[in-house]
Amino acid sequence: MMNIILKWTGWIVLCLILQSTLVPYMAVMSFKPDLPLIALFYLSLSLGVMPGVYVGFFLGLGQDLFSQSFLGQTALAKCVTGFVGGLFNERVVRLDPITRGALLIAMFILNDTIVMLVHVVKSDGSAGTFFTELLMVTLPRALYSLVFAAIPLVWVNVVKPHRLVD
Amino acid sequence: MRLIIDLIVRHRNACSLLLTVVLSIVMIAVRPEVQVKIARALSMSLFYPAYIAVSQVPAFTGLYSENKRLRQELTEISTQLQLFREQTAENVRLRGLVGFAENTLYTLVPARVVARDPSPQYRSIIVSGGLAQGVEMYMPVVGERGAAGKVVQVLEGMAMVQLLRDPSSRTSVMVSRSRAVGILQTENGRDFFVRLRSHEDAQARDTIVTSGLGGIYPKGLTVGFVKKIDDSNPLFKRAYIDFSVNFEKLEEVFVMRLPPLWAAQRAELDLVKIEK
Repeated sequence: MMNIILKWTGWIVLCLILQSTLVPYMAVMSFKPDLPLIALFYLSLSLGVMPGVYVGFFLGLGQDLFSQSFLGQTALAKCVTGFVGGLFNERVVRLDPITRGALLIAMFILNDTIVMLVHVVKSDGSAGTFFTELLMVTLPRALYSLVFAAIPLVWVNVVKPHRLVD
Repeated sequence: MRLIIDLIVRHRNACSLLLTVVLSIVMIAVRPEVQVKIARALSMSLFYPAYIAVSQVPAFTGLYSENKRLRQELTEISTQLQLFREQTAENVRLRGLVGFAENTLYTLVPARVVARDPSPQYRSIIVSGGLAQGVEMYMPVVGERGAAGKVVQVLEGMAMVQLLRDPSSRTSVMVSRSRAVGILQTENGRDFFVRLRSHEDAQARDTIVTSGLGGIYPKGLTVGFVKKIDDSNPLFKRAYIDFSVNFEKLEEVFVMRLPPLWAAQRAELDLVKIEK
């Protein structure tokens, strides 16, 4: 149990550090991969709903504190995303790599939808550009993130096929 | 009670989601002042290790490019300084000729930013200069690209600076090109604008400078640049601005040893009673 907690804490901290240091230099046409969301995706798939919800909540809260978003905005998005990811827990359902990719994209869309909805509600803005944002920002970002999300999949399926992502 | 606990245990996943969603919504829904308090409390308790780690990250990234940029700026500024010295000398001579009193002599006290308000849009900073360095209340503070804020509290070796982007700070500014004067305002703490009468001239990319009317900032310090104009109101227009100083990366500032214009009358002003 302790090993699992330490391992996932390490992965999440690593993702957060990479997100604030290396990722800005890896932007392609201003689209940056979201490593904390990828970490949350694998965590919720591996550990289930409750860890997904709470880790998502505190991860999002941390991102809210150190970014320009409204306090609670990313926390809400990430806890719901963690919940949805946890529903596809590996112990309950086995997913092939393509379905995992589709699920990751769906989680990105869900995450960004909640973030945008909160933004619209809080800033009294219009939801006119909502679908444009999803299509022009979220989808390319999700696809780009998929490349990074594929690394653990390749690791598990090709390099060390006997191990699951735990 | 037991029934409730059983219910929670049985539906622990849904309860977890409900709890975190409710907490998030409460944080989103509360007033900005309360949000700042919550953010401050979380930054200084639960997220303090992360706060320390995150605040160290900028120090290690982009050192090479920053060094290169600073060298280039140093060269440019040294050249400009030489020109300004010539112009100041000429200015003093001309002022003497026309009988203007010299009222803009000040010295700059360099100070390092030692702490920041940890709220998402931090509104104040603590700098390393204090009473010992001659820093006093209401002295203006400038960054490398323009006005940053004013001193609102002074201790022996440090001072608190209220930044221009503090929503409670009201700074008199003007459009440099048209000289239209307005007050720097915000409604949400993020988007800052200058409210001008509708007939006054302001365009995108205009420079906004301090007007000198508040008595604290001297006239002409760069505050920012107009990014867009909102003239949907028939009586007033709003010139939304981008600050020239990057508050996120403020590391060194200069306190202008320039007491407020009304400093000499302060004792009398303190005695004035406002009748309701």
